[in-house]
Amino acid sequence: MTPTADLRDRVVALVAHLRVAHGFRVGPGEATAALEALGTVNLGQRREVRDALRAILTASREEGRLFDLTFDAFFRLREGPPPPQLPPLLPETKAPLSPPPPSRPLAKGPGEERPVPGGPHAEDPEEGPNSSSSHPNPDRETEGEPDTPARILTARLSPHAGAGGRVDALEGDLPDLLRAAGALVQAVELGRGRRLVPQPRGARLDARRTLRAAAGTAGDPARLRWLGRPRRAPRFLLVLDGSRSMGKSATLLLRFAQALHLRSRRVEVYAFSTGLTRLTPLLRRAPPGGPLTLPDLGEAWGGGTRIGENLLRLTRGERARVSRDTAVLILSDGLDTGEPETLTRALRDLRARAGLIVWLSPLAALPGYQPVQRAVQAALPHLDAFLPAGGLEDLRALGGRLRR
Amino acid sequence: MTLPPMDQPLDLQAAFRERGYVAGPALATALRLVVALGKPLLLEGPAGVGKTEAAKTLAAALGTRLIRLQCYEGLDAQSALYEWNYARQLLHLRAAEAGGRSVTDADLYGPEFLMTRPLLEAIRQPAPPVLLIDEVDRADDAFEAFLLELLAEWQVTVPELGTLTATARPHVLLTSNRARELSDALRRRCLYLWVDYPTRAQELEIVRARLPNIHETLAAQVTRAVHALRELPLGKPPGVAETLDWAAALVALHRDHLDAEALDLTLGAVLKLREDQLLARPALGKLAAP
Repeated sequence: MTPTADLRDRVVALVAHLRVAHGFRVGPGEATAALEALGTVNLGQRREVRDALRAILTASREEGRLFDLTFDAFFRLREGPPPPQLPPLLPETKAPLSPPPPSRPLAKGPGEERPVPGGPHAEDPEEGPNSSSSHPNPDRETEGEPDTPARILTARLSPHAGAGGRVDALEGDLPDLLRAAGALVQAVELGRGRRLVPQPRGARLDARRTLRAAAGTAGDPARLRWLGRPRRAPRFLLVLDGSRSMGKSATLLLRFAQALHLRSRRVEVYAFSTGLTRLTPLLRRAPPGGPLTLPDLGEAWGGGTRIGENLLRLTRGERARVSRDTAVLILSDGLDTGEPETLTRALRDLRARAGLIVWLSPLAALPGYQPVQRAVQAALPHLDAFLPAGGLEDLRALGGRLRR
Repeated sequence: MTLPPMDQPLDLQAAFRERGYVAGPALATALRLVVALGKPLLLEGPAGVGKTEAAKTLAAALGTRLIRLQCYEGLDAQSALYEWNYARQLLHLRAAEAGGRSVTDADLYGPEFLMTRPLLEAIRQPAPPVLLIDEVDRADDAFEAFLLELLAEWQVTVPELGTLTATARPHVLLTSNRARELSDALRRRCLYLWVDYPTRAQELEIVRARLPNIHETLAAQVTRAVHALRELPLGKPPGVAETLDWAAALVALHRDHLDAEALDLTLGAVLKLREDQLLARPALGKLAAP
């Protein structure tokens, strides 16, 4: 079936809207492919059109959810409910095409309220660690069910709800933190990778290059060439305790996490208090030079401490991504209200997968400190290092301490 | 290449079903676009939901060859494309030297010394094969960057032979379990589909399709139990592959329903971590209930 001019216009408008309003990385190439796809599907089947456009215009599971809601807004039936206003994946960008309005103006409705980050149904702009059950299956009929105010309210009034609130970390010490982060990246040694690359001395003969050299000496391999395994480039997984007991140390360590993120793109950052939230997308968007301001992190900041539960939740969410290239940094004072057994289970799992596990504690920097907290006692057998992180000096010394 | 609409002969959903694969409409549409637009499809999702199987079934449905490249840490372009038979080349050099003949590069790097690997194999096929690049997230960044060129240009350069362009563009499926975040560049070159666990009804249909001899009660119980297990905070939740393994194990033991004893005997087919088994055991009685 050939698409009508109106349909083609709508699809082009949809592409522009996804790019401008939600930060999808789609441009003329994707628009062309989308129009091409319309020629191969049954245009009488709305779902088939949506499936085809979703396959072309999205690049991740999270984008798929936003796409479904946006598509429904553009192509919904007249009697359908008004679409919810969605938070953007990325900040609004300038676009060559201005987005035409959808088929009906977006009315403000009860579903429009922005979900609370860190809540049980929080909408992480990129992804959440435990999002497997909260996102729709493309194979299922998904007509867009945003988090309702009732759900959000339940999350905020939960007995485990954290204090939340905006997080402000002032600038000023960023150059020092960047130096400390750079030293840490340099210091972490996780052994050798499995990839073989040409090296002056190595574990295996490079037959290809040796032979090429031998062709010049009538087949005599006079100069042998070697392949070796390069140093593993570390990947960092930072888990930051944002509970009340961490006090000012939490913001310092948060800025350190930001500095580490600026020094290496292979950094994942999570914060936890009573709940857990992924900070990586927020840090990615933060302007590098200015003060770090994060939105309300809900249960992940300023509340009580549940190290074990959140670490276990993180371990499950990140399980597949933690490999021998990963250095796990837990930044916590260890003052926990949860069960140490849960923490042991999470750390045992991480231990089996990660290349390095380091616990940084602000309390350990105090003179006469003894690691007597239950959580720290439970964690110590599974750690590669337990180090102080009381201030900038400790962070600067971190690289050297790990190298030793 | 423009294909007819879905209700025309190439109905992948029906073709898949004939081969025992219950594909949802989104997957069928995405695969249809792979064939129609010639774009690679990136399938992401938990382990065991049928991503690899989708590529195998697509090859069978299209009546073409499946060429599979299993990615792993340390995989390089050389191992994925081609290698030279060095031992044979050295013998050739020695023989030429003994016979007083001179050897040129063209002699030494002829097709008789070339050992093709999956990617080169795929672009040299006369008819478009299905190329499965499995678990691309296990390969490292450098290999991913190499794939970008291949997927965009459909040509590779062998220094000794020059540039080889695909005779027929393969239908490419990439799978990922999200062990590593793939680059935006790779994602942009691919169609994308997240393959999730099926709904209970879909999974029951899959069990029935793959194990036609299974007792109806057992199929329903196994499906329900697997869905209940997925609700638990398991380290390795069971995929569809595990559901089928479990159901097949129970059928092999001539069970027509799931009771506590059968569950105890076959739990290893569905839960592959000791911790998960310990966690699930208290719920076993409930899961085995009719």
